[in-house]
Amino acid sequence: MSPDPTTAVTGTESNVIDEDGESRFREPERRRSPRREGDRVGPTAPRVEARAAAAPTDERVDEQHAVFDIRDLSVFYGEFRAVRNVNMVVRRHEITAFIGPSGCGKTTVLRCLNRMNDLVPSARVDGQILHHGVDLYDREVDAVEVRRRIGMVFQKPNPFPKSIYDNIAFGPRIAGKPKSEMDDIVERSLGQAALWDEVKDRLSDSAMGLSGGQQQRLCIARAVAVEPEVVLMDEPCSALDPVATSRIEDLMQQIKDEYTIVIVTHNMQQAARVSDRTAFFITEVSEAAEGQGGDQRTGLLVEYDNTEAIFSNPADERTENYITGRFG
Amino acid sequence: MPSTDVTQARSAYQSELEQLRLQVELMGVRVDENLERMRSVLHRGDEREAALALAADDEIDAMQVSLTERCYELLAREQPVASDLRLVVSAVRITAELERIGDLALRVAKLAPDHALLHRYPEIFDVLAALADLALDHYRLALRSFAGQSVGLAEEVSAGSPEVGHLTDRLVGEVHRLQGDDAVPVAVKAMSAGQSLSRIDDHATVLGARLRYLFTGDPDHLAAEVR
Amino acid sequence: MSLLTHPADMAPLTHEAVAERLKGTKVDVPNAVYKWAMFGALAITLAILVLLIASFFGAGIEVLSNRGMGFLTVGNSSDPAEAGMWQAILGSALIAAFVAAIAFPLGIAAAVYLEEYSSENWMTRLISVNIRNLAGVPSIVYGLLGLSIFVKALGGVTGGRSIIAGGLTLAVLVLPIVIITSAEALRAVPDSIREAGFGVGAARWEVIRSHVLPYAAPGILTGTVLSLARALGEAAPLILVGASIGFFSSAEGTGLLDRIQGTFTAMPNLTYGWARQPGEDWQANTSAAILVMLVVIFSFNAVAILLRNRFDRKRDY
Repeated sequence: MSPDPTTAVTGTESNVIDEDGESRFREPERRRSPRREGDRVGPTAPRVEARAAAAPTDERVDEQHAVFDIRDLSVFYGEFRAVRNVNMVVRRHEITAFIGPSGCGKTTVLRCLNRMNDLVPSARVDGQILHHGVDLYDREVDAVEVRRRIGMVFQKPNPFPKSIYDNIAFGPRIAGKPKSEMDDIVERSLGQAALWDEVKDRLSDSAMGLSGGQQQRLCIARAVAVEPEVVLMDEPCSALDPVATSRIEDLMQQIKDEYTIVIVTHNMQQAARVSDRTAFFITEVSEAAEGQGGDQRTGLLVEYDNTEAIFSNPADERTENYITGRFG
Repeated sequence: MPSTDVTQARSAYQSELEQLRLQVELMGVRVDENLERMRSVLHRGDEREAALALAADDEIDAMQVSLTERCYELLAREQPVASDLRLVVSAVRITAELERIGDLALRVAKLAPDHALLHRYPEIFDVLAALADLALDHYRLALRSFAGQSVGLAEEVSAGSPEVGHLTDRLVGEVHRLQGDDAVPVAVKAMSAGQSLSRIDDHATVLGARLRYLFTGDPDHLAAEVR
Repeated sequence: MSLLTHPADMAPLTHEAVAERLKGTKVDVPNAVYKWAMFGALAITLAILVLLIASFFGAGIEVLSNRGMGFLTVGNSSDPAEAGMWQAILGSALIAAFVAAIAFPLGIAAAVYLEEYSSENWMTRLISVNIRNLAGVPSIVYGLLGLSIFVKALGGVTGGRSIIAGGLTLAVLVLPIVIITSAEALRAVPDSIREAGFGVGAARWEVIRSHVLPYAAPGILTGTVLSLARALGEAAPLILVGASIGFFSSAEGTGLLDRIQGTFTAMPNLTYGWARQPGEDWQANTSAAILVMLVVIFSFNAVAILLRNRFDRKRDY
């Protein structure tokens, strides 16, 4: 084969692999987490050209980096199977995004991560969600304790109809934090949510008097007040205007160092902007089994990879169809 | 059998992308026409042909500007991702390459007045003719690859042509052997033509790399250059 | 006439034509008829209320202005000029206290269990339906229940025909209503509040105590006040349980325990008793007693409304 003259050096800023196999190219300052062992994409990693049908499972991630090890998760609401066979690992100090069309099960999976689905009487879970080696759905696991460690921010801001102070203090109080620490906790939480300066003089005012964006930041502050390990966010910006949205996106980047974040979003550009890793779900229509009326629509994980890979060159055609908008 | 819903959406956007692709192909065809004119001028020295080439080159330059603007507009308005993004980015880079090729073709076509001079030295002229043929074929292969969206052809194109290197060496050798009063002007003209033609071939190779990026998304081909 | 119902008219519409239609003021007969019919219904209701008050107002006011506060602080007597409502007022107040102390905590707790803890299945649906049925049971049936259980069976504790028995009976009567209104108030609490509470790692009882109950409090409060007003007006059960309609006297200085275990009466029963007495004087007294009862009940309702308004304003959502 003749040598390929196309990859020779020209200027100073191209991808240069010198004799040591090191790349001399200095990538610009990035907000994202550095690529790690086991990543599929990179100038030195072979690129997968074939269209893969199955979602890749990441066995090389050790327990140190894994916050959730989801194994063959299926969720049922009564007879209806909402999502099936999800296998993925959520990593520490990363922002993981779940994207996909409506009804694909992304919110269902999210709500399993902190056992919020327990509140739905007909919900049933197959498979495992390992967190620190413990299956969250094990019978001995206390759901209340799970929710203290894995917090949640909801789609529509839902502050308690109480004062700003009481909103934040509620969680720590029931977790047993002494009253003396409460002021500090409130200040720290509001500071982390980038809300302290705006409300520090009116902590006893009702939380309902805040704007939508402020209320959502308050909910984030409330979630971090109990010092969880993970913050789950269910379409946190969908009820907010663009300015409030970008403030919250900045906030996510800032608190990423202390928490792990999993976010469900309908907005693909937001997933592209904000997340380190993206999981793409889809609805699969299967013909009705005997005796069931109508087709079943079950959610399914199609592809899970670094966000750059998903949005520049996804492995699965269905992912490509969805993110380019060809998917109806 | 499980199936997924795939219904057409963003149809206006899809047809804009298709339009873009066609327009880039059209620009490629215009450049091809000018390359043909260039070859004809090389063989026959027709001044009118050269004038046509000049006029056509203006059109090619205008196309490049307008297509580049259209690409930027698509980026701003539609936020394309994945293969759509690759198409838009590649369109910008490919049209730049095409415009360069067009300029180089013009440079050779402008040698029309010296046609008679060059013909007096067949050993030099033959090399130039061969170079022109190779460059044109190489370019046409790239055009076919784009029109047919063929990865295989793109790979062939980006592999380069060592024959061009040999021919250039031969040309240098022949030029060195020139003697007589005309030696210097012929040498200058010949070297100018030879370099332009070999650079047309290089740009065709780069086109191959751009096309490989367009079709596969492999970042190795994103910024490939030829020295 | 809209542009949509007459597509034939869609052919070239000029600006003037559209303006004409927009401004068109044809008299809308069906609308007017409907409106006046609804108003008529309201008017009839108001008329009944006015009639009710007016029929007692004249005679009653006269008695009250003649007797003054004495009417309210003196006990019953065989002499119409001397008879007062004191014992009835005291009786009603004590019974109300019983109802509040028993029915409210029980009813609210039951509602909390039904709404917050129990899951949706055929059993809870059955229970809900039956509670509603209980609320519709004629009050005299509760009287019979009170008679057999609180008066006879538990006579040793309650003192037989007494305020204790009466209070317990009315508490039982009012219990289903408290449960229903409290359950409704709890159902009106948005789920987002509960989710938010669970989301920060609160247990169910913490969520209920800290968020659900405070939010539902205005509704629950209103329900309980209204049920109290209802209890004050029930005569039939008390008759069976032994409220006196004649006159009796309790010696000065009788202790509370004796009072609630001894002979008693309540406002509705006293009114009934007086209404049965012959003579205009007694009729005048009856009117006065009715006025007093109406004032009491209306003020209960007013308190309920004021309380709800105050809580609603504080909440502003």
